[in-house]
Amino acid sequence: MDEPVLALSQVACPELFGRFGQTRAELTVAPGDLILVDARDATLAADFADLCCGVRQPDEGAVQFLGHDWASQPHETADALRGLIGRVLAEPGWLPFLDATNNVLLPQLYHTRETLDALRERAAGLADEFGLPGLPGGPIQRLAPEDLARAGFVRAFLGRPKLVVLESPVQGLFGDMVSPLLRRINEVQDRGGAAIWLTRSRLVWDDRSFPATQRLRLSHQGLTVVESRR
Amino acid sequence: MTGRAVSAARLPGLRVLAWIGRWTRLRLHFALSLMAMAAGVLFESVMVWSWRRPTRMELRRILRQTVGGSLAATIVVAAIVGLGVVYQAFYWLRVAGEEGSIGTILVTVLLREVLPLLVGVILLGRSGSINLIELGDLQRSKQFHALLRQGIDPFNFLILPRGIAFALASYTLGIVFVVVMLLVGYSAAALLSVVQESIWAFLDDFLSATGPRDFIIFPVKMLAIGLMIAVTTSLTALSAGPAEDVGHLTARGFVRGMLAIMMTSGFLSLAA
Repeated sequence: MDEPVLALSQVACPELFGRFGQTRAELTVAPGDLILVDARDATLAADFADLCCGVRQPDEGAVQFLGHDWASQPHETADALRGLIGRVLAEPGWLPFLDATNNVLLPQLYHTRETLDALRERAAGLADEFGLPGLPGGPIQRLAPEDLARAGFVRAFLGRPKLVVLESPVQGLFGDMVSPLLRRINEVQDRGGAAIWLTRSRLVWDDRSFPATQRLRLSHQGLTVVESRR
Repeated sequence: MTGRAVSAARLPGLRVLAWIGRWTRLRLHFALSLMAMAAGVLFESVMVWSWRRPTRMELRRILRQTVGGSLAATIVVAAIVGLGVVYQAFYWLRVAGEEGSIGTILVTVLLREVLPLLVGVILLGRSGSINLIELGDLQRSKQFHALLRQGIDPFNFLILPRGIAFALASYTLGIVFVVVMLLVGYSAAALLSVVQESIWAFLDDFLSATGPRDFIIFPVKMLAIGLMIAVTTSLTALSAGPAEDVGHLTARGFVRGMLAIMMTSGFLSLAA
């Protein structure tokens, strides 16, 4: 059996979940998985994403990414491992003193040695897929909120990630963004990666055609499996 | 509360001691964090892997901002000091018949003590405040956390280039200051016929009075002052509360920056 992309084993994190019910969380994200998580509380969703990405440590239990326990990694290694995760953040984290292009390319400029031209070219391709008229340039403050969200998708998928964690990606967006996102997630799955899609949107959660391999519910009661197609 | 803590709370003397201890720890906390951050910048700056592309980009941007932003102010202040101090020194030493000691006086008073303080104040006012506001904004909008979420070390990407850029800018501006101050002071004195010697003889006097120790202490002092301005303003910004307003933060950063400049200069003067 392939090594899981992400594994939460006997994770206890009372600040997040398990305040009222289940006290330990278990989750295995295998290569090719797309986990849809119903997370109506945005703060809880962001904290859970941080737990999966090793930014937040559990009180007990272990969170392993590609077989590496986050808790035992030196911070340089942990940063490098996080470079293999594409994150669509609910609070997007754009730096006001960098232009839009450098903001989008920043994680790849930091984690890889890929040339600027190659990165720009790939980013422009992704921007086109997500409905932007090319790689955004100029001051980041001038981009409309919807374009910023699309630029966030480009940033998340630019680094050929092994895991993609999306925090309510289509919240407040007009038009169909689910289809291009799913196409990109398919490409990640084909490369042996996986994705966790945290959603507040009833449209996404209630869509029975959404190709999730597992549906979970995240609340302060814990992380519960609603449906599994494995 | 433990039994020991209860008894400590009941005794007024111990309460005073506890207050002094808390206050001392609080004050030392900032000073120790400052030392740790400065040491971190120095340590990381010699590691090749610390200089990733975004860090280098940020270094270039901050260098442009610090040197470019403070250059005009440095030239103006240096010209005023040249007129006010160098020219006056020429004039009064001539009256006293001590023209030969002009180099020694300029090196002892200006180069070693006054110039580093003036350049430090200019750098703090022009660029330190920008650094404080920029990082304060990032802290308030939780951008440091967003960087961590993408595997980007905020120290490596934001603090390291600022520390090095401010240090290099301080040294560069210090050299500009010396050159402008000497040239303006000499020109004024020559125009008003206060000085008889050529500019080369004057510069030779100045260089002769500059001992080997000054060639080490001056660059070290300028680099250290620049570094301390960067880490003081950065640390003040990082310790800002979510509801802290920019005005309050800038005032606190300016006072801390001034203290850091004076303490660094004083400490290095004593060590020399």
